[in-house]
Amino acid sequence: MDGNRPLYIPVILGTVRKGRMSEHAAKLVAAEVAKRPGVETDLIDISRLPLPIDDAGEGVKDAGYSKKMNRADALVIVSPEYNHGYSGLLKHVLDSCLKEYIHKAAGVVGVSAGPFGGSRGIQDLLPVLRELGLVTIFWDVNFSSVQNVFGEDGLLKDTSYIRRIDKFLKELIWMAKTLRYGREQVAAE
Amino acid sequence: MTQQKRNPMICPTCRMVMNYHADKLIAPTTREEFARMHRVLGGVVEEMHTCPGCGGGASRPSE
Repeated sequence: MDGNRPLYIPVILGTVRKGRMSEHAAKLVAAEVAKRPGVETDLIDISRLPLPIDDAGEGVKDAGYSKKMNRADALVIVSPEYNHGYSGLLKHVLDSCLKEYIHKAAGVVGVSAGPFGGSRGIQDLLPVLRELGLVTIFWDVNFSSVQNVFGEDGLLKDTSYIRRIDKFLKELIWMAKTLRYGREQVAAE
Repeated sequence: MTQQKRNPMICPTCRMVMNYHADKLIAPTTREEFARMHRVLGGVVEEMHTCPGCGGGASRPSE
């Protein structure tokens, strides 16, 4: 295994809604990922992916998104809560790949205006990620009352989130390294 | 002898033997996949391989 190859951990912004506060959360988490030595990242905004909606699954695969998922060692998914679930367009994007995700780590960041920090949307998302072949970590980041967490300029007002994101990323990076070793070195029975 | 031992996948980028690390059951969506559907497992089994050199991934149908 080439230990010098950086980990690649893109951050997926999982909503296209106008005025989305999740964008602030996604940019913050991506900036924190980028601070880690030996880790590269990108912010993938699903509103920028040109996926058609007259087909589904791998039939709408976008070459650029597929290439990033193939390269990825782990994913951070930033998902607001829509009526106790996650966004339909996030599912549409996630379903466009499958083989690219196998034995890779995933962590979820929930966002909501209410007190639960997107936790109900995260719970809905977990079995989907499992079926896609991703390995979810046991840390989440929950942005509750997100309208109070970020200023209108998008800057973080409540710096206690930095510590939570740090714990989340430490676990995600450990899982990403472990699964990379497994994918590259540990043979299936 | 397994397909991996008989016919290991070679990385198209760096020509190394790839590591076969998973079988994934995939729900069939095309006529060709329905024809290959495993009756007991209920889907198409795909082998997942990763290159220890460059980290690239590839897959192929399981025999």
